[in-house]
Amino acid sequence: MDRYGRRRIANGVVTTLSVAATAFGLLWLILVLWTLLWNGVAAITPALFSQMTPPPGSAGGLLNAIFGSVVMTLTATLIGTPTGILAGTFLAEYSRGNRFGEVVRFINDILLSAPSIIVGLFVYEIMVIRMGHFSAWAGAVALAIIVIPVVVRTTEDMLNLVPDALREAASALGSPKWKVIVMVSYRAAIQGIVTGVMLAVARIAGETAPLLFTALNNQFWSTNMNAPMANLPVVIFQFAMSPYSDWQELAWGGALLITITVLFLNIGARALASLGTFKQ
Amino acid sequence: MPPAASNSPATASEPAPRQKVLIRNVDFYYGTFKALKNVTMPLHDKRVTAFIGPSGCGKSTLLRVLNRIYELYPGQRATGEVIVDDENILTPGLDLNLLRARIGMVFQKPTPFPMSIYDNIAFGIRLYENLPHHELDDRVESALRRAALWDEVKDKLRQSGLGLSGGQQQRLCIARAVAVQPEILLLDEPASALDPISTQRIEELIAELKVDYCIAIVTHNMQQAARTSDYTAFMYLGELIEFDETERIFTHPKQKHTEDYITGRFG
Amino acid sequence: MPADIALPRVAAAKSRHGAVGDFIFRHLTFLFALFVLLILGGVIVALISGSLPALRTFGVSFLYTDVWNPVTEKFGALAPIYGTLVTSAIAMLVGIPVAFGVAVFITEICPLWLKRPLATMIELLAAIPSIIYGIWGLFVFAPFIQAYIEPAIIDTFGQLPGIGALFAGPPLGIGVLTAGFILSIMVLPFISSIMRDVFETVPAILKESAYALGSTRGEVVWRIVLPFTRIGVVGAIMLGLGRALGETMAVTFVIGNAHRISASILQPGTTISASLANEFTEAVGDLYLSSLVALGLLLFVISFVVLAIAKIMLLQLQKQAGG
Repeated sequence: MDRYGRRRIANGVVTTLSVAATAFGLLWLILVLWTLLWNGVAAITPALFSQMTPPPGSAGGLLNAIFGSVVMTLTATLIGTPTGILAGTFLAEYSRGNRFGEVVRFINDILLSAPSIIVGLFVYEIMVIRMGHFSAWAGAVALAIIVIPVVVRTTEDMLNLVPDALREAASALGSPKWKVIVMVSYRAAIQGIVTGVMLAVARIAGETAPLLFTALNNQFWSTNMNAPMANLPVVIFQFAMSPYSDWQELAWGGALLITITVLFLNIGARALASLGTFKQ
Repeated sequence: MPPAASNSPATASEPAPRQKVLIRNVDFYYGTFKALKNVTMPLHDKRVTAFIGPSGCGKSTLLRVLNRIYELYPGQRATGEVIVDDENILTPGLDLNLLRARIGMVFQKPTPFPMSIYDNIAFGIRLYENLPHHELDDRVESALRRAALWDEVKDKLRQSGLGLSGGQQQRLCIARAVAVQPEILLLDEPASALDPISTQRIEELIAELKVDYCIAIVTHNMQQAARTSDYTAFMYLGELIEFDETERIFTHPKQKHTEDYITGRFG
Repeated sequence: MPADIALPRVAAAKSRHGAVGDFIFRHLTFLFALFVLLILGGVIVALISGSLPALRTFGVSFLYTDVWNPVTEKFGALAPIYGTLVTSAIAMLVGIPVAFGVAVFITEICPLWLKRPLATMIELLAAIPSIIYGIWGLFVFAPFIQAYIEPAIIDTFGQLPGIGALFAGPPLGIGVLTAGFILSIMVLPFISSIMRDVFETVPAILKESAYALGSTRGEVVWRIVLPFTRIGVVGAIMLGLGRALGETMAVTFVIGNAHRISASILQPGTTISASLANEFTEAVGDLYLSSLVALGLLLFVISFVVLAIAKIMLLQLQKQAGG
């Protein structure tokens, strides 16, 4: 076989392997989503949303867990979003190329990918031990610590996309710097920042490890933020690992709920992001 | 309709031009690089002064000294004096925001803020004045009329400024700049990103506006300079080579360098 | 001009306002940026202080002792460390080539209209929470592996002399191999997406010159794209590794939670994060708790180092590409 023939075969191999790899990746996505749907849909009944987590062997729902997840996710978002936005603003607007900003950016990116169970451990040490008990507040704080780096990153990236000419135009009218940022830069970047927050929420919606030793779990309905609170991920963990089929079915139902929420937020965030590019 | 103005600075019916700004011994540094070398020249009130020269000659840099917009960036500094009426505006410690409210700037690329047309114009006004609603409306309308944009946008004031065409956006920026009633207008290649028809409208606008403002315009288009300005400054590599009445510079330049540039021997 | 008279007085008042506003805003944003650093500092301090009792009791031997006895209060981290490293190694072995293939396909081969949707779908793999992979792994994947794959492996590779020990033992479904494989599915979208970004930094002109000389696609990838992005590719891999090391829930479900080291990867084991997830809430006794926190500290240090290296490499590539 001549040299060119060999090269063509080599090229064909590369192409085939790449296609195979992509198909491989997609295969798992489809498999996971399919089995999730298959096993979880049976549990999606009105009872799921109206009854509490049952003791083993009886029927019930996930209401307290859903409530707990919503409350803690919301609280975490309320704590983490302004923090992240302000920190990201500092990086984009006040620290062009200075040392401190570089260090913060570096550390932020490490926090972004740090194991979430370590975050849970950290909040356990500083809150649960201090307070002497598990609590939904601790859970919310742990989730907030996961939200913050995501929002910092997206805020900084989005603000950096705002052209300097826009800032100059506002300054040229005599606007003080903080008004330039708040009234012009933020407005220009708002879409991207909201997208970032949505992605952060999608991330914490499914996080289990940080809640394992902060909010723990609660068999009953509770609105007390100062006590352990039920939440979907930990309930799924407990129920799925158990030998009871009722519990396992509820676990699948909860898993399906979480996945739908997460996918919805993710796809929604992407749709929002692509809207902006068309306007430009 | 532009007034029947000749490009000669003083005609029988007009008063002699008054010096509004005196740039004196100005140097400018980007870090250690000296971009402006000992520039001295006047800007006259109610007249248009054009800065021309090849790329990198410092004309935009000089313009940006006049409202100290370079202060936004560390590592950029100017020395010397820029005297506006009786005040040296390069004095350290001067309130830059107040300064910039007196000196308007329009940039090369149109920069409408991401807000409604109305809010765009009102932005600068709201910074410094607490006007009742109808007065603000009047100011917005008069600014838009001055920029020859009112008829085109009067029915869509609440729509986003980003929805306008390029030429309209630039006139929006001009309206925004004049809305705060500045004394001096700085135009940095205002038409270079626009199509020829929009360019023409901008030039007509400049002729109307010069009745009330001291205008400095940077342009790489010599014909535009010849058409629109009363005075022209030719710059090269950071130095002011020649400054004179436009008509004289383009017909009888004193420096050979100027003549070479004008006749296109380099650019 | 009429405004001349009004402007200075009013403006002066509002301008001082501007200065105050600037001061407050600047320092506010600074404080929150500082807060990010404090979080990291806090994590380090909290982990160290929590693990001190265990570290003081066991010393360095904690790292290489394979014992985990809550009753006699003897703890050694070797089994979790081993499990963490082996599952991550399996994840990398499978994940890297697949991620690479996906990245090459999306950037070089895939038709334009397919790029965005395909990239999105692969990224959805990353969006699926860890616990979902866990529950899927436990109820669907592990039984499948147990019924079909593991017997096949045992009958083929398990029979070979020497390395056969790696694949020995009864087919359980759950175990180190299964955990490693699920990990690979979880990290491949991360590695792939960074590789894609990294591949996109190659200037089109460079690739076009190669094509113009008659190179095939495979050659352009292998000879032009890869060498140009070498550092970034390594950075992507390190980032994936950082993720794999810290993954908790998926691994916890399918690794079997046995505090022991087996030669065979078909057997159950444990990882640092799985141990933490399973035992922390039930740990009684200060030394037990402290040993678990020490495990956490270990994991944190390992992840931090890996992620820092990844970040440095990616920054270097950015500098190279951005000029």
